[in-house]
Amino acid sequence: MTTQVFGSAVLVPAARTALMLLLVSVAVFGATELLPSDAAQTRSGGRATAAAEAELRGRLGLDRPAWERYARWLARAARGDAGESLLTDRPVARMVAERLPATLTLAGCALAVAVPLTVALAWAVGTAPARRRGSLTMLVTALAAVPQVVFAAGLVALFAGVLAWLPPVSLVPAGGSPLDRPEILVLPTLALAIPAAAFGAGVLGGAVADAVRRPHVASAVARGVPGIRVAVRHVLPYLVAPAVRVFAVVTGGLLAATTVVETLFGYSGLGELLVSSIANRDVPVVQAVAMPVAATVLAGLFVADVLAVLTDPHRAERPA
Amino acid sequence: MRPLLKTAGALGLGLALTLSGCGDGDGAAAPFGGDTLRYVAVGAPATAINDPHGGIGNQSDLIRFALLYDVLTKPKPDGTTEYRLATSVTPDAALTSWTVRLRQNATFTDGRPVRAADVLFSLRRVHQKAAENFGRLQMFDMARSRAVDDHTLELVTTKPYAEAPRALESVTFVVPEGTTAFDKPPVGSGPYRMTRGTPQHAILERNDRWWGPKPATRRIEVRAVVDPQARAQAVVSGQADVAASVSPASARQAQGNENVKVVHRSGVVMYPFVMRLDRKPFDDPRVREAIKLATNRQELLDKVFLGYGKIGDDLLTPADPSSPRDISQRPRDVAKAKELLRQAGHGSSLNLTLSTTTSYPGMDTAANLFAQQLREAGITVRVKMEPPDTYWTKVFAKSDFYTGFFGGIPFLDVARVSLLGDAPTNETAWKRPAWDAGFDKALATKDERKRREEFGALQRQLRDEGGYVVWAVGDGLDLTSSRVADLPTGAGFESNFVERVRLTR
Repeated sequence: MTTQVFGSAVLVPAARTALMLLLVSVAVFGATELLPSDAAQTRSGGRATAAAEAELRGRLGLDRPAWERYARWLARAARGDAGESLLTDRPVARMVAERLPATLTLAGCALAVAVPLTVALAWAVGTAPARRRGSLTMLVTALAAVPQVVFAAGLVALFAGVLAWLPPVSLVPAGGSPLDRPEILVLPTLALAIPAAAFGAGVLGGAVADAVRRPHVASAVARGVPGIRVAVRHVLPYLVAPAVRVFAVVTGGLLAATTVVETLFGYSGLGELLVSSIANRDVPVVQAVAMPVAATVLAGLFVADVLAVLTDPHRAERPA
Repeated sequence: MRPLLKTAGALGLGLALTLSGCGDGDGAAAPFGGDTLRYVAVGAPATAINDPHGGIGNQSDLIRFALLYDVLTKPKPDGTTEYRLATSVTPDAALTSWTVRLRQNATFTDGRPVRAADVLFSLRRVHQKAAENFGRLQMFDMARSRAVDDHTLELVTTKPYAEAPRALESVTFVVPEGTTAFDKPPVGSGPYRMTRGTPQHAILERNDRWWGPKPATRRIEVRAVVDPQARAQAVVSGQADVAASVSPASARQAQGNENVKVVHRSGVVMYPFVMRLDRKPFDDPRVREAIKLATNRQELLDKVFLGYGKIGDDLLTPADPSSPRDISQRPRDVAKAKELLRQAGHGSSLNLTLSTTTSYPGMDTAANLFAQQLREAGITVRVKMEPPDTYWTKVFAKSDFYTGFFGGIPFLDVARVSLLGDAPTNETAWKRPAWDAGFDKALATKDERKRREEFGALQRQLRDEGGYVVWAVGDGLDLTSSRVADLPTGAGFESNFVERVRLTR
């Protein structure tokens, strides 16, 4: 790879990713800031005198202007210090660490289902004959549009209620891992994976449709090249970059959906922590949960950008 | 195109099935852990703490602290005092200086004895954190209080305070003097010790050196779960033995299930409608009385609490020993309500806006039903739904007319936070110097029977003239497996002491 290609393929997207991450941190901070009330009010439960509340606000540093608080947070975050919770004074890193394994396990399972499911659905949509493609697309879109909470509640009603195959809540075993009782992961995994896959397939299906309808694919099929070979040699190169991009977005959506699914199933992960931290205006915790999620999505998009350049079927034709 | 589609489709599906293997099982409950009690408490992860002296927002934390730390005294279900770390609390003649004697045989789990200095240190911390714990120990002058010897304390009150023992019947969790690190659980001297886990999911083992009667259960797991439905389902599906505070709907559902039972704690849940006395039209006592008369209390009790509770008569603490007992229930009288409104100049119409939220199950139902009931008396009420995360800081104690909440706290606490002239959240603007003076006078009355009568008279006046419509008091509802026995049934703080809970069979 030449320096020039390396620059355009890696450095530019990398810089863009870093900038986006910074902007996300500003946006998350700003959004929490714009919500009415603050952590001092939450902490005093609305039942302290004005003077006592002001003193508390001073102690927590909430009397400082927003830009200054953001700058302080950024300076500490840059050194790898996530700070303390405004609500409980506990170290944020520990609060996140306590819950990270549970969410990683759940998200990992959900991705393991969602990725192949997305591929399968996208392929089905993209390669369907034109007359059936409309209805397939509609089905996938409708599935993606069902609110997460409704979908999850439906799964519980069916598999835990009517059929009684699976537990209705997913309490992580004492001092252990969710994998000690894998059955608790099934419903939350499906609740996360199926809507995410439907969304991903809706987007990726179009790319598949475009790729398989390229003239060289038709000519390869006409030449009698075996189907699997056509798929790998002539279709996949066009799909790698869009697929990674879609999976990055699907991952983000899936992690966001853990807020609903974890609360519903009593599953003690980061999603549950994020929900209550936002409700309490606990900015350092909100940032500490939101930033890794944002970083994951942006990293995925970055990889997609790099792959887009490297797998560009026309790249070889250009003088390097 | 066909063969291509089939091959790839099958490939994708096969992959999906292979990978989805990360979650297959039979769905049966985990094998029961012998003498382990699994308690699912109310608690949000963001507010889980190790510091027992500030604001304790989670019931899960209270349950854990009550197992890990000794308290001076605690209430019994019948309202009398149970002495724990303290063996006696006695006043001087002026009721401003209190001698607290401690038991001699209490030790922290690291082997150090529990001394008066440790108690004083802990009480001072609670006192300092007044902004976070509703001024829990503000009646004490902590600077002048002192440790007399290793097992005696002298606590000084700011004014005569005959109810000091009762003021100590709360979060007097004792940690060793000089404790500064609260990012991990400080060492305690209570009936259990924490061996593993986190504030959201703690694993506690019996502390065999505790001074009290040996608890029956060797191990207690306390887990915080936000969603009431998830808590109830945890017990129904055998993943937990106790679910604290489930919704009335869950309790009703569980009635047909022989594997679970519902434990009632009476006098716990109250969503009073709050009217501000310093704003129109509620500044007119006739309007307040009309609204109280137009309320169909039985219907609210039946539809909001599904009948799990007692009908209310505008008394804020009907379970308190000082609550007046000789009051006849206010009947519903729509005709009289209309007449009062006509006299007050609202004969043609009265338009009100009532705020409510969804913080506790049924608060929204209560407001909507109440609005319908008032319509019969010619009052048009618009119900305004507010988001739960700002309700307690933006609407509570600020709006003219809204749906409030009390969780079974005793009269003295209600007075301190919501009724006295200088109370931080005097939500009904009940500012009556004579009432405040009567309160102080009662606190300076040594004779308990007489003192209760005086407190009772104050509560009666508030019922007749105040801005609270207390339509019912709902039961606290805990769901347990049928094996659980001796779960506490007291209204307030008492219900957090679960060391005597046991599993039968």
